[in-house]
Amino acid sequence: MSDYDVIVVGAGLGGLTTAALAAKSGMKTLVLEQSDIIGGCCSTFEVDGYKFDVGASIVEVIQPLERLFEMLGGKISDYLELIPCDPIYSFITDDGQRFSIPTDIDETTELVKRIAPEDVEGWHRFCDKGLSMIEEMMDAVMLSPMNTFSEAMQLGMKNPQILKFAPTFARTHQGVIRSFYKNPVMLQSAAFQSYFAGAPPELGSGVFGYIALSEHLGIYYPRGGMIGIPNGIAKAGMDYGLEIKVNQKVEKLLMENGTAFGVKLENGSEITAKLVVSNLNAQVTYLKLVGPHNLPGWAVKAIASYSNSMPCPMIYVGLDKKPDLEAHHTIVTSSLESMNDVWNNFYKMGIIPETAMSLVCWPTEADPSLAPEGRHILNFLCNAPAPYAPKGDNWDRLKGWYKDAAIKELETYVLPDARDHIEYIQVSTPLDFERRLLHPEGGIYGLFSDMTTLAMFRPRSRSKAVKNLYLTGSSTHLGGGVPTTVASGIVTAKYILKDFG
Amino acid sequence: MIKNLKKVLPVLVLVGMVAAWFQASESTRRYLKHIGKQVPYLPYRYFI
Repeated sequence: MSDYDVIVVGAGLGGLTTAALAAKSGMKTLVLEQSDIIGGCCSTFEVDGYKFDVGASIVEVIQPLERLFEMLGGKISDYLELIPCDPIYSFITDDGQRFSIPTDIDETTELVKRIAPEDVEGWHRFCDKGLSMIEEMMDAVMLSPMNTFSEAMQLGMKNPQILKFAPTFARTHQGVIRSFYKNPVMLQSAAFQSYFAGAPPELGSGVFGYIALSEHLGIYYPRGGMIGIPNGIAKAGMDYGLEIKVNQKVEKLLMENGTAFGVKLENGSEITAKLVVSNLNAQVTYLKLVGPHNLPGWAVKAIASYSNSMPCPMIYVGLDKKPDLEAHHTIVTSSLESMNDVWNNFYKMGIIPETAMSLVCWPTEADPSLAPEGRHILNFLCNAPAPYAPKGDNWDRLKGWYKDAAIKELETYVLPDARDHIEYIQVSTPLDFERRLLHPEGGIYGLFSDMTTLAMFRPRSRSKAVKNLYLTGSSTHLGGGVPTTVASGIVTAKYILKDFG
Repeated sequence: MIKNLKKVLPVLVLVGMVAAWFQASESTRRYLKHIGKQVPYLPYRYFI
């Protein structure tokens, strides 16, 4: 007799989603989280009265969240408040232009007419193709199991309208946006999102080329910080008896004859279950929790063949003054070519770039309660991407230098006298992310995403190598991001309910 | 005729691929190299 029906290792969005749905179906479910807070990358911590988001800074494409709360018998607003953020971004380009992109598509058309009249026709085509793709693929692809060719074919036969979008997956991000735009600023405005999937525009899958459009469906910030989302899912799950324990680090899976039947914690205790769900990175799951000795040779070769997505050092800043910004997100960009260049000639060479792009998030614009009265928060990525192992050095030694570089970036673009107004500053390096979130090499988007690591070529939600082991989160189908990891949790729950429900 | 075509076809395909490679931009070549390195792992990845 097992202690639980389901044990979920890791309280990230994917793990919590699967756990809540399992609990709703009547399965006795336990989530074990190694950290003292839930949410993984989508979480919030408090220091000196400031509430900083660990990684994720907004949620866009909220349909998977809506679907999840429907499946849990409620709606989003029963569990969390999402504040709409408009404009989507404020841009500062390499040639000094500043403009904001509004959510409304007609208002954006007016902006395109002003900054890139030659691309108005391309913008209309981008909208027409992208919106129909998003609408037709949302439920069909995002929320459907796609571990095998057979499942993909069934999906295509049930939804023949999506087949026309298949070539988009085989194209590159830059190939897609170049088919719509010629203007360098328009290209910049749609190119940097490839890094949201952890790849440069020349390598990322073409499907991510439409992220820039999906943002026009609305971007939102949860009141109280990004942790509002995992807290909402956890609360909904707990209504059905879900148990969540923090500060519980799992050391390994309990295995017998290639079948998982529980977990062993770092403190030596063992908990058994009918099945185990891992929300950890798939390489950590297979190579550490399961162990190569419990895997067939092909599985070790397969899991070791993936590379991790890029790490991103984050800087958390508490200010005693309102920053000179116009939107929740400000992007300091450079040309499409330099976004590729920074990957090939800096990141891959182990060199921290001096220019590329910085993403400045100003959460107190949406929710002033995140900081003491009159104070503000900035969470930002500076000159991303940055290598996990800088040549001849390491991040623990570079922390101070990087902090100074970040302050200079702030002084250049956001607050000229930033140094005099910083009340709190903390740098979270790739090493910190690795230690805090157990993401190998600090890769915050799970495994690297390109056309050879998507859908049935990404680690399966239902493991074939270990019986009764399921995976969820950014390493599985659809990759990193708030909506995609929630969707992965729904897909994993569907497999579990099919097998055990 | 068909016999000759069968002999010539692989050569034509190869010539076409070489010509396409030399006409491709640096960026496209990097992409093709990257994908080429990943392809041998696909049969393993499919099952994991």
